[in-house]
Formats: sequence, structure tokens, C-alpha cells
Amino acid sequence: MSKRKLIKRFSYKVIPFILLFVPLFITQAYVLHLLIMIAINVVLASSLRFVAISGQFSLVHAGMVSIGAYTSTLLVMKLGLSFWAALPLAGLLAMIIALLVGYPFVRLKGIYFTMVTLFLTEFIRLTAEQWRSLTGGVSGIIAIPRPNAVIIPGLLNASFASKTDFYYLALIMVAVTLWVLYAIESSRIGMTFLSIQQSDSLAESLGVNSSGFRVLAFSLGCFFAGIAGAFYSHYLSAITPASFGFLLSIYVFIYMVVGGMQRFSGPIIGACVLTLIPEFARGFKEYEPFVFAAILLLVIFFLRGGLVSLPQSLSYYIKKRWSHA
Amino acid sequence: MVGLIGPNGAGKTTVFNLLTGFLRPTRGRVLLDGKDITSQKPHSIAKKGIVRTFQATNLFSNFSVLQNIIAACYLKSKVNFWEAMLHTPSSCKKEEDVLNRALEIMRFVGLDAVKDQPARSLPHGYKRILGIAVSMAADPQLLLLDEPLSGMNAEEANTAVALIRRIWEQGTTVLLIEHNMRAAMNLCQRIIVLEMGSKIAEGSPEEVRANKEVIQAYLGTGKRAT
Repeated sequence: MSKRKLIKRFSYKVIPFILLFVPLFITQAYVLHLLIMIAINVVLASSLRFVAISGQFSLVHAGMVSIGAYTSTLLVMKLGLSFWAALPLAGLLAMIIALLVGYPFVRLKGIYFTMVTLFLTEFIRLTAEQWRSLTGGVSGIIAIPRPNAVIIPGLLNASFASKTDFYYLALIMVAVTLWVLYAIESSRIGMTFLSIQQSDSLAESLGVNSSGFRVLAFSLGCFFAGIAGAFYSHYLSAITPASFGFLLSIYVFIYMVVGGMQRFSGPIIGACVLTLIPEFARGFKEYEPFVFAAILLLVIFFLRGGLVSLPQSLSYYIKKRWSHA
Repeated sequence: MVGLIGPNGAGKTTVFNLLTGFLRPTRGRVLLDGKDITSQKPHSIAKKGIVRTFQATNLFSNFSVLQNIIAACYLKSKVNFWEAMLHTPSSCKKEEDVLNRALEIMRFVGLDAVKDQPARSLPHGYKRILGIAVSMAADPQLLLLDEPLSGMNAEEANTAVALIRRIWEQGTTVLLIEHNMRAAMNLCQRIIVLEMGSKIAEGSPEEVRANKEVIQAYLGTGKRAT
């Protein structure tokens, strides 16, 4: 137990510290790009887990990323808003849409909820494809401007011309997201989410408005998906509806499950590992979904708690072997 | 304390579901202190002071015993979003109050010995007791107990009966569904008998025991009348 605490303290304090100084040592744009993609996926997987701890599996994350991406892009390009205003607005719009659909959606339980969220993702994708005057249709939008430069004389000069500036922005995004999600999860509100997950009839009989809490979890998770989407669009400077199809939702879901849903660190680890794997196997790009599916199946069959439970399961296995020998 | 008895399928649990809003009545009204609470959501009925237990064991099974009771104190310890985020002094105070209250309830029902065990690994009798403790934590005026003694051995049943009596003595009104006639007759001042969804008798345990219709209802379904 104390060992686990030590690892926990280590990861809370040391890892952020290391991450802060990474760009000083690593200057290859490719590595920074990977780290930024990991950051986006960590935000997505962690916020998806936040929806899942209240007992509902959502596949609308890709749709919400899409809404965030298009909202921020259009606000900046058509209305000339600053990126810094468009970013929170993108999150808010995703949240508002989630609130609106949330009330009817959470009446459905289990797989039915998952199905309607999947339909919503596809609905959003098709809307983005068909609404050509606004979204540019299938070919999407290109040449999305970079975030406006942040200049504090003598202190900070972030022009977002290099990947390093984006890296720090991504780091801030991850830190804020994880902090908010962790604070809520470890509070009484988080406990109420977990109690709804375990038995919503009992929670309801004790005075918990379970559908209200479900909508809250759902919309807050979608808020962060929207933020991630806005960041994504300005980072890659090009978006197409096809990049936010239901496959992205499934991927985020796989990050979460493979990493391990029981722990807060699960989706973080899952997103890191699974973002890196396709990079090491570039030659198999077309087979990526198959690789992911295989990994998912392996984890489901052999490592129920996900990758975070690997040390525990290993030590258990070794002990068992040892005592038999 | 009022007992609700009747043969299997008489509609006892349905009455509970109607009272607590888990089912909507097609006809009739539910009144609490003269106010109409028909068809309200279960959580708002719980807020008004009617809390139920479940016939099948229904707990937060991954939580420990103490966590179950703390989670059940939800109504007493609402924390808003900012308090939760920032760990304000007011939220810390609330956390402390809730912990104390939960410990008090745990002592009251006598589960201190297993307080850190996960609920799913408890023996059946303890699970039933924990179910009652969880419902107590919501601070009911009217407590609906759905077969609290089911599946208990004689000793456990005695403990549970004593516990239910103590809850009642503390000033909580109790409505009890029970198949264990001796316990029901022993605990309740008034008994209502249901058969095929309608009330066939009501009165003191002695009156009910002597009622011809009641005996018929039980014998007619092949059950032993007490």
C-alpha cells in the first residue's frame, strides 16, 4: 500500500515537472507532435471515463470534438473572434448540446444510451458534410489560423509558430482537465456518481436525482471533448467531417477500456500507449482498427482491470506460481 | 409501526413502489401530511421523508460498509460544484459532519466490526442490516421496510427485530412488509392484510389473527396460517 502511495506521489509531482522541461531536450517536431496528440487523447479518454463513472457509456465524444472544432474554427474565421474566446465557447456549445440531448438520452439505460449517442455522432458528422455553405462539406475547412499570439513583455512570447508553444498549450489543457475531473471525482459529487453506477434505484430511493447527475456527468464530459476539438482544429489547421466519425469515438472508448476504467490513471495510460503503438507500426496503417480491436480483446480476456492493473496482476500471478512450485 | 402482510403476489411490494414513486398509480392518490405526492419522482419523495428498502438486497456493492452509509447521507450533505472543486472550509466541515453521522448510524445498527469490508463480501444477514442502515442515513420520517428479515437465521432475525424496534422508538414511523408472522405480530401495533391487490383486513394483531377472511386467504393459497 505504501509503495502504491509512493508511486502516486511520484507521478503527481515528478511527471508534470519532467513534462514541463521536455521541449528543452527534445526539439524534433515529430516527437512533440506525438506528445501533443497524446495530450488530446488523454483529455478525450479521461473525460469519457468521467461520463462512464456514472454508469453510462457514451459514444458521442467524436461528435462533440467535431462540434468543438467547427465552432471554434467558424468563430475565428467567419466572425473574427480571438482563439482565446472561441476555445471556451466551443466547449460551452458542446456542453449545451449535451445538456439539451442529455435529458431525453439519460432516460435510456445501458446499451440503448450508447446507441443513441452513436447516432448523434453520425448525425453531427452528416450535418457537417451536408451543410456546405457553412462547413465546406466533405472537403472540410483548411488554413485555420493559429491561436493569436500571447505576448507578455519580458515574460512570455508565444506566437504558436513552433510546435513548442502548442506543446505548452496542450500541457495546460491536460492539466486543467485532469485537475477538474479529479477534484470532482474525489469529492462527494464523485461518490454520488459512483453510487448511481452501482445501483441507481437505491440512489434514487435515497433522494439522489440520478437523471440530473447523469446529465451533469454527460455534459461536463462533452465540454472537455469540445475543448479538445477546438484545440485540435487550430493545431492541425485543417478539419474534415471524416476525421470525427464514429471510429474516433470507438478509439477513445478503447483508450479508456484498455487503460483501465477503475482508476483515474487508466485512460491516461491507455491514451499514451495506444497513441504510440500505431506510430511504431506505420507500415500497417490500414490495419490500425484491427490492431486496436485485437488489443482490446486481449485486455478484455486477460487483463480485466486494464493496463493500470498490470503490475498487480503480474505480482499476483508470480506469487501464485511461486507458491505452487 | 404498521405491518403489511398478505400471500405472495398480493401486491405488497407494489404498494411500496406506488408510495415511493417507482411506479405510477393508474387511479388513486398518495397523500403525505395531507399533501398530494402522487406520481412524483422517487428522489423527490425521498426528500419529503419517505425512504424504502428493497426486497432483493440492493446496496452499493463495491463500496465498503462505511462508504455505503456515507453515500446514503447524500441528502444531508449536498455539496455544490465549487465546494467540491476547491475543497472549501464549508465542504470540509460537511465531510466531517457526514463522517460522524455515518459512524453513529453504523454503531447504532452494530456494523462497526465490518466497517471497511466491501458490501458485496458481507454475509447475507449483514447485508440486510446494512440495507436498513443505508435507508436510515437518508433520515426518513416514514421508513418502508420490504421483508427485512428474509433469508435470516433465527439469531439474525432477533437482532434485526430489536433494531427495527429501536428505530421505531427513535420516532420514525415504520411500515413493514414481512412474511415472518411471529415477528410482524410482535413488532406491529396495527396490521393491514392485502389479498389480490385489495385490503381484506386491518386491525391489531389479535383481530387480524382471528379474522376469517385472512385465514381463508392464507389457507386458500396453500399457506400455513399462524
